[in-house]
Amino acid sequence: MGEPGKHRILMVSDFFYPNFGGVENHIYYLSQCLIKEGHKVVVMTHAYQNRSGVRYMTNGLKVYYVPWKPFLMQNTLPTFFGTLSITRTILIREKISLVHGHQAFSTLCHEALMHARTMGYKVVFTDHSLYGFSDVGSIHMNKVLQFTLADVTQAICVSHTSKENTVLRSGLPPEKVYVIPNAVDTAMFTPAPERLSRDEIVIVVLSRLVYRKGADLLVEVIPEVCKRHPNVRFIVGGDGPKRVRLEEMREKHSLQDRVDMLGAVPHAKVRSVLITGHIFLNSSLTEAFCIAILEAASCGLLTVSTHPTTMVHAITRAIYMLPKIDPQDMHNRMKKLYSWPDVARRTEIVYNRALKCSNPPLLDRLSRYLTCGTWAGKIFCLVMIVNFLLWRLLQLWKPDKEIEVVPDIQLPKSQHEETPFGSRPEKSS
Amino acid sequence: MGEEALAVATGKYTYLHEVGEGPPEAIDAHHILVRRSREKGFNLCLFTLLLFAYPTLLLFRQGKLDTLHICSLVIMALLIRLFLKKPVKKESVLILPAFGVQLETQYGSGKTIRQFVPISRILKPVLTECVTPVTCYWTLSLIIRGEEELMLVFKELRPPVKMLAPVWKALCAAIECGECTEAIT
Repeated sequence: MGEPGKHRILMVSDFFYPNFGGVENHIYYLSQCLIKEGHKVVVMTHAYQNRSGVRYMTNGLKVYYVPWKPFLMQNTLPTFFGTLSITRTILIREKISLVHGHQAFSTLCHEALMHARTMGYKVVFTDHSLYGFSDVGSIHMNKVLQFTLADVTQAICVSHTSKENTVLRSGLPPEKVYVIPNAVDTAMFTPAPERLSRDEIVIVVLSRLVYRKGADLLVEVIPEVCKRHPNVRFIVGGDGPKRVRLEEMREKHSLQDRVDMLGAVPHAKVRSVLITGHIFLNSSLTEAFCIAILEAASCGLLTVSTHPTTMVHAITRAIYMLPKIDPQDMHNRMKKLYSWPDVARRTEIVYNRALKCSNPPLLDRLSRYLTCGTWAGKIFCLVMIVNFLLWRLLQLWKPDKEIEVVPDIQLPKSQHEETPFGSRPEKSS
Repeated sequence: MGEEALAVATGKYTYLHEVGEGPPEAIDAHHILVRRSREKGFNLCLFTLLLFAYPTLLLFRQGKLDTLHICSLVIMALLIRLFLKKPVKKESVLILPAFGVQLETQYGSGKTIRQFVPISRILKPVLTECVTPVTCYWTLSLIIRGEEELMLVFKELRPPVKMLAPVWKALCAAIECGECTEAIT
């Protein structure tokens, strides 16, 4: 593992398996591809129920489930300095060269990046979401992000919209922010073996039924589409506070036979729901990067995602376009355009650039924090000074040499190694 | 019975391996000894004295104590309690082939706690990484037949993995656990 150009990366986020979601998938697949490229990857997250301690996943991906209990929306309690000791221990014992934090909403991510910078490690941050600027929660979140990104080495966003949003929120120079889109595991999302009959057009909606995902919009759109097209049927998968409104709409317009409400759909059954339809409808009001669209397109569904005012018209156009669509051809194009190995290669470039960056002294770094606001800047500076002093104290109490370095596990390399992207032979060196 | 001893010292701990000469049934003893730091003890004593001096002086001068001084006395009492707490002097693993494993914890006061585990109850010895909210360390545990919880071999001490590895190998050999005898990576 000590080869030149090979990195030892610590992925940090509050969101990881056994939880399911976009961030969790991103960390897992990116880690797997980086391991394939010969890098060492370790994941640090908080404990989930009785899942605590060290666990190993596919291809020897090591996961530290730190026994810090989540307190709100799968986030650990913000303690600023509470995670310093464990972060330092993991960084030393795993001989980490670079720390990669994921998701602006993750407390553990912000704290780990802060500690890593204090200890002189290079850090990369990936933002997976869009945030507003006006509500109290967003204002607070943006200030926290400003604090974290004031001293980050490089940042990654999942789309150009996301980059624009992050730059505006954090005041980070745009040249420090890279755009690397998400990908889809096309092996998991394959089209139906036989083409569906077009006598009845099935439109699939799969999302959490909340305001941001446009559930209120569906209440307006579904009856209108059903009125215009008698051969259209809807399948709505997902659960949330807006489900009641959809149920009411179904009752009001007597669409029980044309709108199927599936409720919450487990991730393993997403494909089986998608392949029952012809069109996938994405009604989200805001989305940093909609993985659901990729999954649907990979299953060969024609995707409709447009402005609320033109949605009914767009669905009508999609229905007329259906005969020209070849699901298998669409799947093959998705395979080429959105692949995790490609995401990993692009992320590797960011890592290489991050490691080439100079390491400024503490005083230079403190001046960056001062620019974060009249009062906030001073508070951030104070936090960083205390963190630095605590780190020095930890070094005296338990010197680096007393922390044992963990041996790397050597997995037997077979000719056809199982990968999360199906079986494929190893590249000959 | 002649004995052959092997000692390894690292930082806070000393590993001592005593192998009894003679038949294969001979007792195989592995000891982890704590090397007490005199500096730490001296520093703690000095700190406690300094903490104790001011409230005592105030008590003699004014005849009363305020909240702050009561707090410092409480802290001092806790420090003394910590210092006088029975420290672990040594932890041992006595492997009796075909019989079992005896785990011993010897305190500074001379008190010894012993626990015997019959060989038939041990499924496998395992080297695992433990994660606490503040640190990570290696532990040697025994998987006991019919029990959900692992049994820690060294209950009080946290010796480094280079000291745990030979004990693990010896336990594997005693339990005739085929897959264990491969060298640790």
